[in-house]
Amino acid sequence: MSIDEANSKGSQSETSPPRYSSRIAAIANSRLYRLTIGAAVETRIGRLILLATIPAVWLLALNVGPIYQMLKISFLSSYPIQHGEPASYTLANYAIFFRESIYFTPLIRSFVFSILATATTLVVVYPVAYYVGKIVKPSGRSRALLLLLIPFWAGELIRTFSVIMLLANRGALNVFLRDIGLIERPIPMLYTSFSLGFGLVYLICLYMLLPLYSSIEKIPNHLMDAAADLGAGPFTRFRRVILPLSRDGIVSGCTLVFLTCIGVFATLLLLGGPNTVLFPETISSFFHGASDKWPVGAAFAMIMLVSALTSAGIFMRIAGGKATKVM
Amino acid sequence: MRSLFSDIPRTALTMCYWAFLLYLLVPLILMMAMSFKDANYVAFPIGEWTLGWYAEVVQDKQFLDACLYSIMIAAAATLASTILGVWIAMLISVEGIRGQVVIFALACLPAVVPGMISAISLRIFISTIDLPTGTAAIILGHTVHSVPFVVVMALTRLRSMPSNLVDAARDLGADSVVAFFRVTLPYLGPAIMGGMIFCVLLSIDDFVRTFFLGGYRLTLPMLIFAKVQGGMSPEINAMATIVLLVTAAVGLYAEYLTRRSRTR
Repeated sequence: MSIDEANSKGSQSETSPPRYSSRIAAIANSRLYRLTIGAAVETRIGRLILLATIPAVWLLALNVGPIYQMLKISFLSSYPIQHGEPASYTLANYAIFFRESIYFTPLIRSFVFSILATATTLVVVYPVAYYVGKIVKPSGRSRALLLLLIPFWAGELIRTFSVIMLLANRGALNVFLRDIGLIERPIPMLYTSFSLGFGLVYLICLYMLLPLYSSIEKIPNHLMDAAADLGAGPFTRFRRVILPLSRDGIVSGCTLVFLTCIGVFATLLLLGGPNTVLFPETISSFFHGASDKWPVGAAFAMIMLVSALTSAGIFMRIAGGKATKVM
Repeated sequence: MRSLFSDIPRTALTMCYWAFLLYLLVPLILMMAMSFKDANYVAFPIGEWTLGWYAEVVQDKQFLDACLYSIMIAAAATLASTILGVWIAMLISVEGIRGQVVIFALACLPAVVPGMISAISLRIFISTIDLPTGTAAIILGHTVHSVPFVVVMALTRLRSMPSNLVDAARDLGADSVVAFFRVTLPYLGPAIMGGMIFCVLLSIDDFVRTFFLGGYRLTLPMLIFAKVQGGMSPEINAMATIVLLVTAAVGLYAEYLTRRSRTR
């Protein structure tokens, strides 16, 4: 490498192109390359075109495109559009949502479940994150975190399935309770709000861990020592020092968990029952079979997207402080 | 007396950690244990133990086909999202382009849109561009989902890169493209590796996008879902155990790689 660079430095002049030793060199020195990309990167505008075209097309077409199409279809009065007929736009698809309680109850239920699951996760995971970030010695932290991350790689379906093993009528919990004599017949836990909530928390709790851990770990130890020297007990130290300083982690963790939780689908189908229909199931019912009900489904999906992102945004604005600037 | 009291929170927190770990692991361990049950229904207690279900699973054509299909989709989606993700990260990291915050927000959009909405919008999108549901649509959907994660990982690594490395290459006569392939890309190596494994796991694990974009051929999560809905048997447990062990091993390896890329 060094000899090669010395060579190319020594022989470099305006006329001769630089020499490289690898396969990249063969390409870079080829006539085709020098006339096309090689020429393009000579100018600022050429570099910009080379760098920005594909990302720009991708971002606009595939990150914005689907949402835009969904928004457009949600206003159509009929879909698919017949040939030769102009598309007519309407708000009726949105009105359906507010007219029938079988539609808006699931959305409210979705929000209640997601908010409760987020709050539960925060309360459960905070002490764990604090333990790993402050009490475990720095050398042992990676291992302590990795142990918690193993189930994270199991995937949505497998984790949901394992919750069934635990909560089924002849699952581990019921059999255990029966064996120690607490119950005579199994408590039906599956397909209830309990199993759904349990499954959601089990599924999403690890998304809370990493943001919390990284903000708690950053709190300087001497701040807590200083607070202790000034006479603050453990509770005061927590309330006045640790909690405010880990606010960023709490806010981003809660936002992440909430947005993930509200979009969960497979878990609802497997752990929920007829009395716990959440909004994703309502939306998906419009997409089974023929496509003529798509506008209503798209309108419902838009309602969910806007309400979820707005509430996450409001939450970040209220609770955020510095965190909103980072985002 | 004071030291005794100050130890109470510490002990309590230690117990919290182990209790939480137990909570995370117990359902998975129960699920794995059930795969050894010598009966064709799922119920505790296990009673007789057997390896028979594993023998059945590794001969199950449907399972093998689903594995193959999932791996194929994951490979294609990973390749596409790595190239696009690194490209977008390069665009964001270049100095002198305005609106980088907007590009970054745009790039992260698929990561904050709830999974269900993302799947629905992609389903509508592929029908407007006349792409039929099936393999290509699934790959597209998974790629859209994975790109933001590659962008974030590549950007983190790019921010730690000394800018004079590229300057040196430019001084030695490399044009920007050559400097990218010979200096920046090798520097990004560990982050790209970690990002790729992350993409593979995201794709293999994905249910909701595949559910709406897929055709008749089943991916792994779809197969497990269909089997769970169709009726329980320890065969599903054996299947899930195999998938769990493989993905956990791959995930741990990715974690190791990203950790190394951060420290070096």
